[in-house]
This record gives sequence, C-alpha cells and structure tokens, in this order.
Amino acid sequence: MFRRNDPHPFAMLPYGIVRYHGAPADLRDIPLGTVLHVRAFLPPDPKTSAVPVLPVNNKDKDANHNRGAGIFPAENHVLLLEDEISRCQREGLTWRLKEVEVKNREGMLIASCEAKHRPNNKAEDETFTFDAATRVWRGRECLLVQHLINGEAWPAQGKKSLHGQAVMLGITWRPTPGGVFTRFHISDIWLDDVAIQNTALRQTETHRAFIRSRWMPAWVDAVEYGKFGRATVTATLFGGMDATLYAEFRKGVPAVMNSVENTLKHIEGGSAGPTQMAARGTIHEVIQASKNAPFGSSGIQIRFETDLITEGMRPTRIVRVRPASWPDVHLPREEYINQGSIEERFPTPDIFPKY
Amino acid sequence: MDKAHTYRGELVFVDHANRRGSIRVQGSGMFFRNDPHPFAMLPYGIVRYHGAPADLRDIPLGTVLHVHAFLPPDPKTSAVPVLALDNGKKDANHNRGAGIFPPENHVLLLEDEPSHCQRLGLTWKLKEIEIKGYAGMILATCEPKQGGNAKATEEKLTFDAATRVWRGRESLSIEELVTEGAWPKDGKKVLNGESVLLGITWRPTPDGIFTRFHVSDIWIDDNAMQRAAINQTETHKAFIHSRWMPAWIDAVEYGKFGRATVTATLFGGMDPSLYADFTKGTSAMMNAVENTLKHTHGAYGPAHMAARGTILEVIKAPGNAPLGSSGIQVRFVTDLIIEGIRPTRVVRIRPSTWPQVQVPREEYLQDGANMDERFPTPAIFPKY
Repeated sequence: MFRRNDPHPFAMLPYGIVRYHGAPADLRDIPLGTVLHVRAFLPPDPKTSAVPVLPVNNKDKDANHNRGAGIFPAENHVLLLEDEISRCQREGLTWRLKEVEVKNREGMLIASCEAKHRPNNKAEDETFTFDAATRVWRGRECLLVQHLINGEAWPAQGKKSLHGQAVMLGITWRPTPGGVFTRFHISDIWLDDVAIQNTALRQTETHRAFIRSRWMPAWVDAVEYGKFGRATVTATLFGGMDATLYAEFRKGVPAVMNSVENTLKHIEGGSAGPTQMAARGTIHEVIQASKNAPFGSSGIQIRFETDLITEGMRPTRIVRVRPASWPDVHLPREEYINQGSIEERFPTPDIFPKY
Repeated sequence: MDKAHTYRGELVFVDHANRRGSIRVQGSGMFFRNDPHPFAMLPYGIVRYHGAPADLRDIPLGTVLHVHAFLPPDPKTSAVPVLALDNGKKDANHNRGAGIFPPENHVLLLEDEPSHCQRLGLTWKLKEIEIKGYAGMILATCEPKQGGNAKATEEKLTFDAATRVWRGRESLSIEELVTEGAWPKDGKKVLNGESVLLGITWRPTPDGIFTRFHVSDIWIDDNAMQRAAINQTETHKAFIHSRWMPAWIDAVEYGKFGRATVTATLFGGMDPSLYADFTKGTSAMMNAVENTLKHTHGAYGPAHMAARGTILEVIKAPGNAPLGSSGIQVRFVTDLIIEGIRPTRVVRIRPSTWPQVQVPREEYLQDGANMDERFPTPAIFPKY
C-alpha cells in the first residue's frame, strides 16, 4: 500500500544528477508530489551520511502492514534522480494512450510505456487518474482537460479509445479511492515534440542561470604545489550540465575556484561571498579526458593555476569553479558555510521524522 | 487582518506535512544575508497561489510571498521558534537592517504576487525593458488597476531566458517575444505602462545590489491569469476533497450513549463549490485533527475512526466573516462522538459525496502517543 510507506530519506551524491522535464535541474526545481526514478548507492562514508545509515539488507525486508519489501533501501545516496519525462527521453520510451474515461472533467487513462520507435503490443497497460487540474501541453499552448473536451478530442463523459497516441506524461501521486494499493496520477500530458522541447528549454535555462550563480562543481584529481602558495589544480567537471556551460571553460580564461562541501555548499569564511575566499587564477588547459565518462562526470578536466591556493583544494575533495565571465554574485545564507561549524559542514539525519 | 504584522519574502524551505516553512524576509539591508525565517501556518491560515486557494506544497521554492502573521497563539506548543516581542524592531547587523526576523511567525495569510495584486486590485505597469541575450531588466510600477497612480515608485526587476510569458492559452519564452518583435533582441524599449501581472522570485544579484527581485512569470492578459487560477483552484479542490474540509468546533451538545451534536465553523479561503457540498441532510464524517491539520487516529485512514452522522443545518453568518473563517456553520449530529471533537479544537469534515481515500503516512498521526508527531518542535530549523 503505497500511501503507508514512510517518506524515505535520500541524499544526492556530490556528483549526483537531477533531471526534470528532460533537462538538468536542482532539487529545488522539482515540485513536491512528483514521482521520480532513482539510481542510488550505499552511503560512501557512513560516518558523515546526511541521511540515516540502514542495514545493507534493508531492501529485502518486508516492511509489514501490507507495504511489501523494497520501500526503505539502504541505497540512499543518489547518482541519478529523474522525473518521468526525463527517464522516458533517456531510455527512448514513450507513453501510448489506449483509452480515456471521463466524468466531470476527471477520470482514468489507460496507457502503456513502450520503446518510441518500436511499439510493443505486449507492453503492460497501466491505469492512471487525471483531473480538471491536469495540464495538457500542445505546441505553445497550455490546455486544461476542459479544452480537450471542448475540442472533442476527449468525451465530456464516458470512454473513448485513443488508438495508442504517443505522448509524454508527468506523473505524481494522489490518495486513491477504492482500496487500490498503488495508482499514480497524471499532472501533465505533452502532446507533441514542440511542447516537450519548450518545457525542456525552460528548465535548461533555469539550471544554466543556477549554475552560473553557484559555479560549476568539480572533483579535484591532483594538486601540484609550487612556491609561495602557487599551485596547479587538476579537476574534473561534474556531468549532467547543459553543453553551453562546459563551453565556457577554455584555455587562457581567468577563473576562480572555491572549496565546497559534499553538499556543494560554498565555504565562505564569512558572508562576503564565495569570490572573497576563492583562489584566483587561469585555466591553463582543458582536456576531454574520456568520451565515455562515467555517469556523474563530464569527462572534462581542467588545469587551473593559482598563485594562492586555499585550504580544501585537495585531491578527492570537491570545488566549484567560475570562469570570470560568469556573474559575481553573493549566495543566500542557507547556501554557504560561514565559520565552518561541524553541523553546517556535515548535516546530521536528525531532521528526518521517525514514523 | 488589520492587526496582523505584514512582511514579504522568499519561500526557502517547506515542511508541508506540518504546515510550516521558512521565508527570507525582505528588510532594508542585504537580502541574501538574511537567515531563512521559520513560520507556521495558523490552523485557519490561508495560502493563495496564482490567485486561487492553495496548500504550501503547491508553491515552488524561491517564490516571493506576502505574509500577514501574528505572535504564536500558544508559545508552549509553537512548531517554530518563539522570538522576543521586540525582535521585529532589532537591527540584524551585517547590513541586514531591521524587520527580518519578526516574532509574528504564525501566518494567517500567505499569498504570492498575483494573488496579492488581485486581492488589493493592483496591477503591474511595465515601463521599460532592457534586454541582452534574452535576459535583462524590467522597469515597472505596482499601481491600482482602476485609476492608476502617477506617483507609484518604479521598481527594477530582472528576467531571463527561463521567464515564462503567458498570453491566453499560450506559454511563451522571451525568445519568442523577441522573434515576434514585441521585445527587441538587444537594447531598451519603452513599454508605455502595459498592464500585466507578475510572478516574482529572487535570484542572487550581481553588482552589490542589496535587494532586487526576479520575474519568473508574466501574465499578459486576463485569459492567461484565469487559466492559471483555474488550474490551481482545481488542484486545491482535489486536495480538500481527499483531506476533508477543516473546521473549528464552536460547541458540542452531548446526548445519551455517545450521541452528540457538534456545531463547527468551516475554515475560509476555499473554492465556493466545496462549501456548496455541505447541505442540510447530507451524511458526513468528522475527524479530530491537530493544529497542523493532520488527521489523528492511525493508518486505517481518517474514515476508520471518524464520527459518522448527518449535517442537520447549515448556517451562513450575516456580514463578512473574519479572514480564516468561511462564516459557514454546520450542525452535525453523530451517534458516536470521538475524543478530540471539543470546543476550540479543530476537525476535518467530509460530506459523503467526497471520495473516501487514505492519506499518506506523513499526513496522519499514528496513535497520538508520540508527542513529537502531535506537536512538532522547532528543532528541525537550522541555527545560522
């Protein structure tokens, strides 16, 4: 019974990727209630886990009270978190609408998730609810179910076969009548490619602005120390960003690099902004290390030389890098660490309720 | 409402199941430095988004909200920190100014910009834009819709390529406005006071600016705003159908063998069609809830433990009800009154025409023995 399952804490790995509407995203972009697909691992360091560390066999345990097994896996450190449309696009899937049943602008949709270019007659049908708040995106238009009824695409009442119409779905969950254990709800339907592209474009632009203000996260591979604080840092940029962001890392570009925690929070040593404490220097080289970089990595290495290396830039630690052409802004209070209090650096799992 | 302390700020954190969160309050100083300020919704507190009733879960993080709030009604059980009475006047130092952590953190009305403007009959008049690379600055004034105000203060707001422009049924990007020739690709354009509604958020601001807000959405015409409001209204109607209508117990007349007649006032701010479902003679259920509006009595669903009965009477109080109240009283008779349904306590009621569903785990209390579940403590809020 889906509704009985306790909310299960998770933490993003520093290089974990969030995707929403088929585009890069931050957790803040995803509305509460969105159904997400998760790829996760055990805590890399249980001592500093920001979420509860669970027994390794937790996913196999029956949760009792008709909840079944697998609802509180120990793998709670997330490499990929994506909404339905992002997953479908990544895996080349599409939803095919079979039948709609409408009563008073709400009802039930039967659909199957199939390979986009290889329809599968044996794909399992799934039943979803929708209601008068479900948004239908067609080209530039944002329609309501009522508009579909007015246009006679859907009936005002009763059933209609939809003949396998290919769409993308936004999926959420709502309390379900009739004692149904698990049934999901459709928040959005994208009817065509233009609508899908418009949605992705907007999310891409939102995330680009976000990364330009928070800086590009990267993993420190190596540090070669020189004299009097000079050093050359080799770092691999994290993956999953819009390509235009990586394109701004070029040889000869001045840049600033700041150490951050695994939460990707800047360490500011005060409230004067990340630039104040960051190491300043120049990108000497940009290396496309591997075409098939592992997920979480961009495969792009930079070599950055600074004349004043700061603490925190050490191999295996995380930094954020800003080409000088990106705006120099101050971050809000909850997104930086002031004096490095241990609780700020390593948030504990205490905030998660115990049910 | 007139006695509430009012402020404005950015929604930074939400604990929707406990109807609380944090807002970065706008003061006179450097907005980005202001610590997220915890707030809790009063049980009868109203949330409005896109000009329609809403729940906290409907509001995206980053949205700038207008707040009408009061001191904690009961400091002992406050779900957010109880602050000194003069906190609202203290200078927060570090160039943050005063007013950014007011003790009035129990909210009666929380509304986004379009809701605020529609309630007060205001509109944003666009004066000028300056654009480069599909991002830039808007100069605008917030004025009364009827009559205007030539002396209204101009405000500068940023926009970018992710800003949505709503026109009728269409959702346009800034690039599409540029392609159509409505806005230039580069440079300035005078907009002659074009009347719109704005969705306002906050983004980190370059150039040492203390406070400047960002435009997430522009509704160009009434059709576009109405469509957004319909969508939010329907979302909230479905929400209340499944969580039941909250109400305040005015009186309980006890009969024999567990029989009782409960007089309750339905909370305000809902779509009228929800109130219309409360009619004389309708069978209904009533369940005790906490001040967080969480259902009590366990995992079998609210209907399992709720008192069952009939609505005997629906009374519409004359005049305008105070904000938070619908002004609609119901008299409900049950043959088995349950604990928690007592005067001044809060309940939720479901006419039997509404769907009978079970709510998710975080939205109900198990057996009520866990005091932390009944009265969430402020411990989850970080101390900066």
